Amino acid sequence: MPSRLAALALAALLALATGAIAADSGLVVSDPYVRLMPPGSPNTAAFMSIGNRSNSDRRLLQAESPVARSVELHTHVDDQGVMRMRRVTAIEVRAGGQAELHPGGHHVMLIGLRQPLQDGQLVPLTLRFDDGSSLQLAVPVRRAPAAHGKH
Amino acid sequence: MRSRGFLIAIIALLAAALLYLAVFWDPLPQRSIERIVAHGQLPPGTAPRGGDFVLQGPQGPVALADYRGKVVLIYFGYTWCPDVCPTSLSLLAQAIADLEAAERERVQPIFISVDPERDTPARLKEYAPFFHPALIGLSGSREQIAAVATAYGSSYQKQPANAEGNYAVDHSSATYVVDPQGRLAGSLPHASSPAQIVAFVRQQLAAGEAR
Repeated sequence: MPSRLAALALAALLALATGAIAADSGLVVSDPYVRLMPPGSPNTAAFMSIGNRSNSDRRLLQAESPVARSVELHTHVDDQGVMRMRRVTAIEVRAGGQAELHPGGHHVMLIGLRQPLQDGQLVPLTLRFDDGSSLQLAVPVRRAPAAHGKH
Repeated sequence: MRSRGFLIAIIALLAAALLYLAVFWDPLPQRSIERIVAHGQLPPGTAPRGGDFVLQGPQGPVALADYRGKVVLIYFGYTWCPDVCPTSLSLLAQAIADLEAAERERVQPIFISVDPERDTPARLKEYAPFFHPALIGLSGSREQIAAVATAYGSSYQKQPANAEGNYAVDHSSATYVVDPQGRLAGSLPHASSPAQIVAFVRQQLAAGEAR
């Protein structure tokens, strides 16, 4: 079955290129990136869109990465114009829905970078969900898109 | 019959007044982004007034008065700010890139640190140009920064430090727009798009020319 093998290989490549798919949990990550920060910045954040193709709600509970001393899930609260960043215990990914992690909203904080991150570098990132499933990502470092609108 | 003539005159006058109001009266400003939002540090009901200041730049003191004739965009933040500041500064940088070259020469973006303890002028010199080569970072004493922030209606609050001594600074995330005469023209709320920033800057540039 060489053609089937080729198709599998292609699928694997595609999965690598676009993010990752957790076959069993139906969770799909698209357009992940780690924000390139100015030199000397101790922290940065990872953003992405997490789709849930399954019939049950999922919760992202935890993220891990070897590039940072700690990794936390955060959000921003707009309190009368003052943006307050707060840690959250989970990010909901509704059944059939999407969770958007974007600048100014939910994000994965990479705190205490062990080394400066370079433009284009791939950052290993593991996402752990409430059903015990996890996603292993290789997230590229890049400048955040400036024209990102408010959702 | 004299009183009747008087009555007609009054009616005509009122009709004219009504017509004038109908044509010229503009009860609300057309754009809400021009609204100046007062923040926590000012007494309630007090509008921020802006005004001149001198802070420490990468090559020594920088005065707002140095930029008369330009539209100055001021953002208060800090370099350890993980998400809000980079997001806002990217939007600001994109807006400046979207201007025509001749307009760009008449615009000066400034980043003022609300975390002067960690943000030295040297640190700001490393940080600011990453977003746009024209962006300069300013620092100063705690008192100087507080005075400027209050004058512009910006507020901030240092948060408790963690075990490693790191701390966040909650802060307002508006961009303040100073007109070519050095007056605070208004503020753009958090997450204003490059197009909104460009529109407001152009308005100020045009108003500067008209005077």
